[in-house]
Amino acid sequence: MTLIKMSLSPWLKSPFTDLTGAVVSHQWYGECADFELRALDCLEAYGLDRGLKKCDLLIQDFQECSRKTKQFQRLTAMRLERHRQHFAGERSKENKWAKSPADDSY
Amino acid sequence: MATAEAQCRQDLPPPGGYKRWALFGGYLAMTAGAGYLYYLNCKAVKITDLEIRSASLAIYPMLLAERDREYLKQLRRNRDEENELMRNVEGWKTGTWYGEPIYHTQDKNLLINPRFQEYYVHASYKDYTNRAHIGLLS
Repeated sequence: MTLIKMSLSPWLKSPFTDLTGAVVSHQWYGECADFELRALDCLEAYGLDRGLKKCDLLIQDFQECSRKTKQFQRLTAMRLERHRQHFAGERSKENKWAKSPADDSY
Repeated sequence: MATAEAQCRQDLPPPGGYKRWALFGGYLAMTAGAGYLYYLNCKAVKITDLEIRSASLAIYPMLLAERDREYLKQLRRNRDEENELMRNVEGWKTGTWYGEPIYHTQDKNLLINPRFQEYYVHASYKDYTNRAHIGLLS
């Protein structure tokens, strides 16, 4: 939230704040371009203070697309669960891991 | 001195020198012959190149489709594996973070592409590194 607040509206605008403005965005061909545009449109419509509450889901989605934190948490949880099962004896050494995907499929 | 001259005769041009036309004509004839052979070789190489290029262009869409097909199949396999793995974890729903969807505002049927690490999450670290660092092996 603070990030967005900072990058949208400096409290004092001058040529120097323009110089260090947030000019890099996801609008260059990124998969998150739509997410970003929707979140920013919403923020623009509601204004900053109300927008942060109203556009919460849109902003969360944009941040998820940008940072992939939830996807990363998911895979960490799955790895840990697999290790847990192995150490608890629910999984033998042989079937600890699933078969690898085909090398050229990703 | 005299005997040495008689035994070892230096190879010299015929008396009166070589014929001019023979020198240039020979040179031209040899070059023309070599040029013709070079042309034949060039043609063969070009034709082979063209053949191989056509073949690879022809099978490229099929390889691409096969890759995509395998990718989708693997996504299903991953989903089944996740179902099986996280069966006993409380509150876990496959494809979500403890029931919380990855994207709130997106269609539920939208395909969310996994990151590479997530694609290989059920495979061993060895398989993962084998694929991830495949460029280093070559």
